[in-house]
This record gives sequence, structure tokens and C-alpha cells, in this order.
Amino acid sequence: MPLVNVPQPTWKEKLKRFFMIDLLEGMRLTLKFNVGALTDKNSVTGKGIYTEQYPKVRPNVAPRFHGAPRLNMDPETHESLCIACNLCALACPEDCIDVIPMDIEIMTAGKARKKKVLDEFIFDTSRCMFCALCQEACPTACLELTQEFELATYSRAGFVWDREMLEQGRETRKFEA
Amino acid sequence: MTMDIFALFAPPNLIDSFLLKFFAPETMNYVVWPFIQIGAVATVLAGWAAYASYLERKISAFMQARLGPMRVGPWGLLQPIADAIKLMTKEDLTPDDADPFIFKYAPYISVVAAFIVFAVIPFAPDWGVITDINIGLLFVLSVSSVGVLALILAGWSSNSKYALLGGLRSSAQMVSYEVSMGLSLVGALMFARTLSLSGIVQAQGLDSIWYFFYQPLGFVIFFISGIAENNRAPFDLPEAESELVAGFHTEYSGMRWSLFFMAEYAAMIVVSAVAVTLYLGGWYFPGTWRLMASYPVLYVFVSLFIFVSKTAILLYLYFWFRWTFPRYRYDQLMDLGWKWMIPASLVNIVWTALAIFVVQALNGWGGLRTIQSLTHGVNLTWAGKIIMVAFGFGGLFVTAAVLSMLNWRSRDFNLKKHRRQVRLVNSPKGQTAVASITKAVTSDG
Repeated sequence: MPLVNVPQPTWKEKLKRFFMIDLLEGMRLTLKFNVGALTDKNSVTGKGIYTEQYPKVRPNVAPRFHGAPRLNMDPETHESLCIACNLCALACPEDCIDVIPMDIEIMTAGKARKKKVLDEFIFDTSRCMFCALCQEACPTACLELTQEFELATYSRAGFVWDREMLEQGRETRKFEA
Repeated sequence: MTMDIFALFAPPNLIDSFLLKFFAPETMNYVVWPFIQIGAVATVLAGWAAYASYLERKISAFMQARLGPMRVGPWGLLQPIADAIKLMTKEDLTPDDADPFIFKYAPYISVVAAFIVFAVIPFAPDWGVITDINIGLLFVLSVSSVGVLALILAGWSSNSKYALLGGLRSSAQMVSYEVSMGLSLVGALMFARTLSLSGIVQAQGLDSIWYFFYQPLGFVIFFISGIAENNRAPFDLPEAESELVAGFHTEYSGMRWSLFFMAEYAAMIVVSAVAVTLYLGGWYFPGTWRLMASYPVLYVFVSLFIFVSKTAILLYLYFWFRWTFPRYRYDQLMDLGWKWMIPASLVNIVWTALAIFVVQALNGWGGLRTIQSLTHGVNLTWAGKIIMVAFGFGGLFVTAAVLSMLNWRSRDFNLKKHRRQVRLVNSPKGQTAVASITKAVTSDG
């Protein structure tokens, strides 16, 4: 049975209503925020402003955030760590990685041998769901999903990253703080 | 030496003497100067309306702990200009089945109705008023209510359901609040004894008091009705975006839309300016004349500054209300207009008349002097002022008592009553509180 118990207003509540205390309370709150925003010395991260000033101030992404892919390089020799094993392409549930290897002749212990190295690496970020399974599959810690998150481009073709973009990182516009 | 410095504040005199070489003095007084004043007022007020929109965005942002426009210029100060350029370059769409003539000209009516009121508003003494007609207040009321015609025409000619509903709502709202707005002014007019706006300001100056202290209730009623008349939140039913998309200007785009926008802000300035003129002393501020009597030109500029600051404070109140209070339901809006505002303004008239009668009757009773003179408005002595202010603020309580008596039974038609009826289900058997609800509830359980 839908019983709604509506008590009669007490004398105090009636007085509150007569002097419109609740309306004034609301106005006090908005004024407090207005004054707080105006007296805020550092209006970007101060106490009066709670919004994120995105292009000016970079947001702090979560430590486990997966963003733009990157092919890591050996910090000393600046050669790609990728051994073209194709494990990432096999691990990818979205099938968005293409590893194109090539054979090169190298001399090992005086003998001419063929070695499979990376020729081209195609990563389609428009199909990627950032699960980072490729990152887990990589035996040399080469492929990594970084915390870079600005992936928007002007065309669909721009979503397909080639080896150079994956190694150098895409050029993004930086705003001054 | 000091006079030389203040000569900087005398461009009107220099322009006057320069133009007198080309025009006869009569032409100067009745043609050239009014045109200069009109040009200045129209330009400044259009800019003010534009920057009011900037301020609104800024203040709303601050109240919501945001920053607001920050990109165009320092602190986003060039935002109104960028907006204007964007709106002017936008395509001017007309819906297929719209009435093209009315659709095109409705925005002009709203802008003209909003801006023409400034012709009689006294911004400052002397040359600070374009024309001082002796029925100024009547002119303000009549012209500003033409603005509703533009909204109805726009809503009707758009051939859109949202726009039509918005137009109908605005007409109903304006008609209900126009009454209380007009009636609330009567109290102040009893003190000023003139309809000329300059005359009202002068009457307040001569009495050295703002009529707000005599007429707090009148001010409150006028301001609330003004907000409702301007279709501003919490009374923005005609353009309630959650129900009607954008109300009467749903189908408008580009410059015509921005004309409505500008008219809204200009109408806000008009209501603030009239409220300042009537209740907050207009350009009068205690002590300015005593300080600056020997520099009349400087006095005009200071008065202008005082008027603009007072109007700006009322405009801030507009923004403050808008970003604090939620919108009224439609029946609540009509309730407030017809059941509270109009009776309150009528009570205010009777109470003010009674107050003036009492003060007049007390004059000369037991050696008490309350009235100084009645030639230019009601001029009261200190004793008379205290009595009148007491009457004014006591009138708030008297009106509240009268209104609660008047609206005692009106709660029968209220949701609150409805909720109470649900509670009455527990009442003893044999007593049916309200048949329908009781039946529905008991059949369920």
C-alpha cells in the first residue's frame, strides 16, 4: 500500500519558508563559487576552478592506461628491438598488426647466413582496442602501448601507422602552458 | 589649474561650440544633439549587450567552478566579437513552410522594442538623457511590452511546433506579469508624483532617499516581474531548452538569431535601468552634488558612472538568479503571477496610500513635522522618513499575511494536497477522504 507520510510543517519550517532561507542558501553557494573563482590566484589548478584545463595542462593518465603504440629501440645502438617474430600479429584479436619481414645477409662466424629482420610494421590504430595483448606477446619488449592519448587525425588513412611513425612517435601540436 | 584638468571632461561643450559654426542653435538643440546622443547610446548599449553575454558566460562558468571562454584574447575578452563575426557569416535559413515576411521581420521588432526604451531613460542629469517626456514611464511600459509581439510572430511564422509553443507560452507569461509590473510601479509614483523618469530621479534626489527604502515590496515585485517579462531563468518557460529545444527562436539562425539574443540582453538592461531609476535613485547618489557642485560636467560623468554601476549590479542579480534557481513548472509560473504577484502589488498600492495618509495625518500632530514639501514629489523630514521606511518594510509582513490568507484555499488545487490525501487512507472507516484515490489504493492492496 503506497503510504506516503507527509508530516505537517513545523513552525520552524514555516518560518524558513517565509524568509526563503533555502533560496538564499542556494544563492550563497553560487556566490561562494563565483568569489572563489575570482579570488583564485592560480586559476588553472587553484581551489576555485575544478575543471581540467586540458590543452594547457596535460591530464594525469592512469598508470595502466594503454594509448598509442610504439616500437622501442635499443637505447645504445638505436636499432629496432623488433625481431620480426610475428607473435604480436598472432596475438592481436583485432588483426590490426602486419609485420613484414625481410631477409638480409650477415656474416656470422665467417659464414654468410640469412637473417630475418623487420622491414615494415603496419599498425592500424583505428581497429586497435588497446588490449595490450601484443605488448604481452612481444619477447623483446619492443612493441609497447604508451600513455600518449592524442590519436585523432583528419583522415582514415592517418590511423594506419607505419614503422617510422611507430618508432619516432607521431607529431603532435604542443600548447604552451 | 584644477579647472584646466576638468576641461578634459568637457568635450560636449567643445563639440557644441564647433558645431554652432554650421548649425543654428535651434537645429543644434532639437536635431543635432539628439542624433549624437542616440548614436552614442545605441553604440554603447549594443556593446554592453554583447559584453553582457560574455559576462553571463563567465559568471555562469565561475558559479560552476569552470573558467568559461579563455581562448579569444586575454581572458576571452574578444569572445563577443568572434561570436558576432561567426553569426554574421552564418547562413540565414528560412524554413520551407514559414511565413517568410513575418519570419524575417520579427527579430527587428524585438530589437527595436528593446532599444527604443533607452530614449527616455535618464542615464545622467543635463545632457545625459535623450528626451525627457512627461509620460516616460508609460512609454517604457507600453513599448517594452511590444517585445512580446515579436516573440509571438516569430513563434507563429516559424511553422514549427516548438516555436509555436514557445510563442504561446511567452504571450501568456508576459500578459500575466505585465499586470503586476505596472501595478508595482504605482507605489513609487505616489512618492514621485510624476511619470517623467528624470522627474522621478530628481524627486528622489530632493528627498535624499532611494525609493527602495519606501517601497521594498514594489522593488521586489517589479524585479521578479521584470525577470519573468524578459523570459529569463527561473521563468524562461518560452525557451525551456529541455522541453522546447529553443522555444520561439528554434528555427532561427545566424544574424536573425543573434538579434533575438541581443534584444534579450537589451531588455534585461532596460528592466535593470528602469528599476534603478525608480527604486535605486537613478544617477542620484548621496553627497555627489555637494562634492561636485562647482564642476557640473564632471558631475554628469560621475552620475553616469553611478547609474551604470547600479544597473550592472542589477544585471549581476539577473545572472545570479539564472544560475542558481531551477526553472518553474508552467502552472507554478502562472500561480506565482496571478495568485501572488498581482495581489501583492495591489496590497502594496493600498498599503502605500495608507502610509502616505498616515504620514500626512501625523504632520503637525503634537508638534511632529513629517512633511517638508509636496511640490516636487513627497519630501519628508527625518521623522517622516523613519515612519515611511518602517511602513515600507512592515508592508512586507502585512502583504505576506494577506497573501497567505488569500491563497489559503488555493492549496486545495495543489500537489501538496494530493499528497496529503494519500496519507488520509489511514483515516477511520466510513470517512472517504477523496473517493477516487482511496478506491484505487484499496483495490490494489
